Amino acid sequence: MEGTIAEPGVVLKTSGLTLAYGQRTVLADITLEVRRGEFWFFVGPNGSGKTTLLKAILGALEPRAGELSLDPIVAPRERIGFVPQRCDLNPTLPTTVREFVLLGLVGLRVHRRDERERLAWALAKAGLAAMANRNYWALSGGQRQRALVARTLVRRPSLLILDEATTGLDVPTAEELLHTVTELNRADGLTILFVTHDLTLAARHATHVALFAGGRVTAGPGRDVLSPENLHRAYGVPVEVG
Amino acid sequence: MIHDFLASWALFHNTYLAGWLIGLLLALVGVFVVARDQIFLGAAITQVSTLGIALGMWMSGVAAVATFPWLESDGFLALMAVLFSVTAAVITTRGGRAGGESHEGITGWVFLISASLSILLVAHSPHGLQEIHRLLSSSLIGATRVDVWAFGSLLGLTVFFVLANSRRLLLLALDPAMAETIGMRAARWGALLAAWLGLTVGLALRSSGMLYTFGCLVLPGLCAKHVVREVRSMFLVAPLVALSAGAVGFVLAHHYDFPPAQMTVALLGFALLLAWGVRWLRHRMSAA
Repeated sequence: MEGTIAEPGVVLKTSGLTLAYGQRTVLADITLEVRRGEFWFFVGPNGSGKTTLLKAILGALEPRAGELSLDPIVAPRERIGFVPQRCDLNPTLPTTVREFVLLGLVGLRVHRRDERERLAWALAKAGLAAMANRNYWALSGGQRQRALVARTLVRRPSLLILDEATTGLDVPTAEELLHTVTELNRADGLTILFVTHDLTLAARHATHVALFAGGRVTAGPGRDVLSPENLHRAYGVPVEVG
Repeated sequence: MIHDFLASWALFHNTYLAGWLIGLLLALVGVFVVARDQIFLGAAITQVSTLGIALGMWMSGVAAVATFPWLESDGFLALMAVLFSVTAAVITTRGGRAGGESHEGITGWVFLISASLSILLVAHSPHGLQEIHRLLSSSLIGATRVDVWAFGSLLGLTVFFVLANSRRLLLLALDPAMAETIGMRAARWGALLAAWLGLTVGLALRSSGMLYTFGCLVLPGLCAKHVVREVRSMFLVAPLVALSAGAVGFVLAHHYDFPPAQMTVALLGFALLLAWGVRWLRHRMSAA
């Protein structure tokens, strides 16, 4: 069941949440509370349900049981920004960074002046301020990923969700993207949910971590959740993050 | 040359106007076909419309025309063309699912079965075979005032639809997965656009034939793609390319006594060659 939260400061709350595809239960009895301004990392082995929970948060999957509640500000989901792992554009189509980022406004009624302001703000936040008129295909992999972030920011989200956004990026480029996202969290107080396989990134940047394994989620402050015991239990092999 | 053309206006104005309106309409709809890399789908839908007409003719041949005189009417054949093209367009948006047939596979099947059946159905009817050959080779002569009004209205509706949904259409063309994520029902939009494509292609084919319909559907969009910097500009440039080629093509065809549809499509083909050149030059200059 979905609802809204009356409690101030809480952006997302699940209680006894169970998610399933047909007869297959992916997550059972999940309890989680995300407060405004927190930087959450969702980590865990492949197929452990990270993306399934994202789908439920984005409204694409109905809970089988339990509750999933959202802050009334993000409940219409217009204020939830989603950055996918990658964007499969037709590479023969001409487009500029400006056109690409403005696509993020689909479904919103925005005046031309507000549109310009949103575009300038989103590009500045993503570190692409000087590239509005640049050919999108001339951007590097990291710049394209930041253009994806800008496309989401142009909607002025209260909750930003990134699904394996650093996959395929080299270490400096991934760090650059994380720097952008961390700045959004610290300077603008944006609540972030970051799905990744990279435990080192989580250890370095997360305020909170949700560790997915065996249909269950262990959630809490990053330092507590990323303990060697929890990670061993989740991955089945000894894992240590420094 | 232009004076000669203007002198023929009184006699052929319906043909000219219908041809230009069809060009504008198909170029606008074709932007979406080109943006989604569905060129072969355009060819298949055009071929299916021909099958619809062939089936209509076959029906009028086997049925008692005296009892059902409407079987021989233009309206019935146009309806068959539209019915078949809309159905094919909607069906071919399916496919591509894991373990199933690919879009290309379905589209190829649709093209081949339509091409063979449309000839087989009318093979023993001299008039039918002649009509199918006319459709395949394209002829604009014979367009009426009704055609002009029909295509003018359809163009007006299409322009309104594109203006009202420009950003949605851009997102669907560029990134359908993202469209789905932000709550657009991409499959429904895909079906709606396919139906619109089927309607325009079906009606255009009946009036202008296969070559002109397919040529105006894909060539202006392909030309625009290589000269613009943003997809949204394609919605303006593609119809302009179609109109320019149509205007020059009709004047040349009239002066040198060539068929206007073939002349226009040939000019569009050369325009695409030019657009490729522009893109190559631009690429060289930016690399230097």
